[in-house]
Amino acid sequence: MNTLELMPTKRYATNVNKVIQIPYGLLGFERDKNYVLLARPEEEPFMRFQKVGDAKRAFLVVPPHFVLADYRPDLSELDVAFLELDDPSEAFILNIVTVRGKAEITVNLKGPIVINGRTLIGKQVIPVNAAEFAIRHPLPVS
Amino acid sequence: MLILSRKPGESIIIDGRITVKIMRLEGDVVKVGIEAPIHVPVHRQEVYEEIQRNNQEALTQTVAKLPSLTAKAKPTPPGAAAAKNSLPHAR
Repeated sequence: MNTLELMPTKRYATNVNKVIQIPYGLLGFERDKNYVLLARPEEEPFMRFQKVGDAKRAFLVVPPHFVLADYRPDLSELDVAFLELDDPSEAFILNIVTVRGKAEITVNLKGPIVINGRTLIGKQVIPVNAAEFAIRHPLPVS
Repeated sequence: MLILSRKPGESIIIDGRITVKIMRLEGDVVKVGIEAPIHVPVHRQEVYEEIQRNNQEALTQTVAKLPSLTAKAKPTPPGAAAAKNSLPHAR
């Protein structure tokens, strides 16, 4: 088994409104295991990754191809096996966005949420090459 | 905290299923090998805590009205970087 280099795909579009299981939860939110991906046209390209049944527990997320075309997180062998990914095209990636003020939005590229689009099981991973990526990657805002 | 002395090549076993082995010393760096079942996440603590903190900051902000992105953050043209691998995009 090897590590698996992922690339941004548009696969998320087929998974809006579906329940996505995060068996280990997000880091710091280990108890919340079921999320739903919500998209509103007026918020595009952002989406909300919301705990099922709790609108207050929602993370703003963005697919990384809106941020960095050459974003290539390298998944560890353990994560590849856990997510049962046979091919990079099975995965879709969501990155958590933090609105820090009117003029500052950052994206976490260091700890992406990677989801197997076939099983709809995901995990917030720390890629093997996490050191290449910023946890507060700035987004240009108008 | 339990403190054990180990030499390079020696291990510690935790709960009968997690092995922590001291691989070698390189100056002031200790190389540690960890064998754990697939469902046991293992992370460098500082990276783990950094992401955990960022998640918490992200959560408190999600109700705010979203600023709009400038043109620079608009979608990258499909194919620009993807062409070399040309994986199928499910839509």
